[in-house]
Amino acid sequence: MPGLSNPCTLPAATASIKELMATFLSRDMLDGEEIFVGTNLPVIRAGALLAHLHHGPNMRVMVAHTRTNLFHTPVMEHFELLTDWRAGRWAEAYFNDNEIVLYQKSRRDSVFFVGALQIDPHGNSNLIGLAGEGARFRMRGPGAIATTTNASHVRRFYLYVNEHSPRVFVERCDFVSTVGWGRGGAGARRALGLPGGGPRYCVTPLAILDFEEQSKRLRLRSVHPGIAVEQVVANTGFPLIVPERVPVTEAPTPEELDILRRRVDPQGLLRR
Amino acid sequence: MMDSHLSAGSAPETVERRPVVVEEGALAEWLRSGMCVALGGLATSCHAMVAVRHMIRRGLRDLTVIGSAVGGLDVDLLIGAGCVRKVISPYVGAEALAPIGPFFRAAAERGEIEVWECDEGQYYAGLQAAAQMLPFMPCRGGVGTSYPELNPDLKLFTDPVRRQTLLAVPALEPDVALLHAAHADAYGNVQFVGTGYADRLLWRAATRTLVQVERIVPNEEIRRSPERTALLAHGVMRAPFGAHPFSSPGFYIEDREHIRELVEAGRVFSKIGDRGPFEVYLDRYIHRPETHIDYLETVGLRRLLSLHEY
Repeated sequence: MPGLSNPCTLPAATASIKELMATFLSRDMLDGEEIFVGTNLPVIRAGALLAHLHHGPNMRVMVAHTRTNLFHTPVMEHFELLTDWRAGRWAEAYFNDNEIVLYQKSRRDSVFFVGALQIDPHGNSNLIGLAGEGARFRMRGPGAIATTTNASHVRRFYLYVNEHSPRVFVERCDFVSTVGWGRGGAGARRALGLPGGGPRYCVTPLAILDFEEQSKRLRLRSVHPGIAVEQVVANTGFPLIVPERVPVTEAPTPEELDILRRRVDPQGLLRR
Repeated sequence: MMDSHLSAGSAPETVERRPVVVEEGALAEWLRSGMCVALGGLATSCHAMVAVRHMIRRGLRDLTVIGSAVGGLDVDLLIGAGCVRKVISPYVGAEALAPIGPFFRAAAERGEIEVWECDEGQYYAGLQAAAQMLPFMPCRGGVGTSYPELNPDLKLFTDPVRRQTLLAVPALEPDVALLHAAHADAYGNVQFVGTGYADRLLWRAATRTLVQVERIVPNEEIRRSPERTALLAHGVMRAPFGAHPFSSPGFYIEDREHIRELVEAGRVFSKIGDRGPFEVYLDRYIHRPETHIDYLETVGLRRLLSLHEY
């Protein structure tokens, strides 16, 4: 399974929560994998690029529509919009959007990220919207973009949210746009005929969650520095599996923080 | 007796190749109420804005709009102006500049437009089916989700080969695809700077395709690199800065100030129901300028020339 050991740590206070989240994602990605960033969310982009520069010289990094390798590039400036043609200066290849979405075979080796308005105990998630009474929507969300199709096929994906609250973590999603572990159990995805490996971790501003092996229900894996276990439990709208020992999320090493601040995020988006 | 489409001696005196250049004034022949219109580009780039503004100016109604896979504020503008009955697009917005199109959101929540709910995989499967002249295309993305429930056109079925459960996505066939590209010759040979996003698939799926271009170039220039010709348009229209306020790779970046003005007008409407600022926008940028050149003069040369890529 992916995952790197964490040799030494800085005092956690020196890294921002977003830097911590990016570092966690980075350490879970292996050299040689395809990291499919898709839309350009700062923490996910930073996590992918940190992995690439820190331990992934053979990673295939797909940011927006490019396929690239930036191992020898000193600084990757953040570009905000998916279609920014100037991102071509870092690209080795540039693909049509329909090819990227339709031809899923190469996604079998991809690592992918899924945002959500709601997440249920089995990691099924919703980007479609919130149901209304007497109307389809109380709130129409942004929609699934390509997450439905990509998450069906990718090697594994990470759920990522900017808010950890009972309105995000719900017993039942109003709509499901991306299947996690369906109705639960390690065979849930196979039963649905979904070839991809499913969600592996859920990364939030309070904690890292994983999935209990048998039930595939969300379980607390670690809490971020300064966050109490009770706080995470109280902000989750369903019973969270809490193991006896809950560690603190590992802080970035000086080397990781240096790469993040000097080469990946010189603008400091993760420190705002 | 010989059976031939062209009987001997029937060719007219002069046989000339016919250009397919469309003047802005002739757009009305291409577009009318009730049509299914596909809009090319992606997110904040390369939308056929001369055609979009034309449709609003003419007050077209009941359009089915197939926005791009990451549909932009071109779709939102048409919804706000009341031109749209149904939207087929996995997303309508402008990323960080407007995470969701304000008119799209309001109309979807109030049930004022029909939204053909889909993700990008289902969206492209439908276009692919149309391009291949098939009734549907199978798609795996969406199995186990709410999509078949939200969109009854997406039908779960058991495939006859491997007995897998898949979604059947019906063909999405636009009457006309409206695209914006870098350049073309007068005969409809279109070339992009950049990938062209999914514009080639829209062209393949649509009955007819009209492409706005930054430049119409001589045929010789196309022949210099024919491998770059991405699609063959039924009509090409000369439209420098024709994607404004959105970007056009190789020519200009998006006009953020203008986009903010549009988004702000939309937000005032969606927050407090006041259409005032949006009506001011429509009046200033769409109804008063009678032509694309008038529009560009309203935006102003100084602004347009500030939108460089370096």
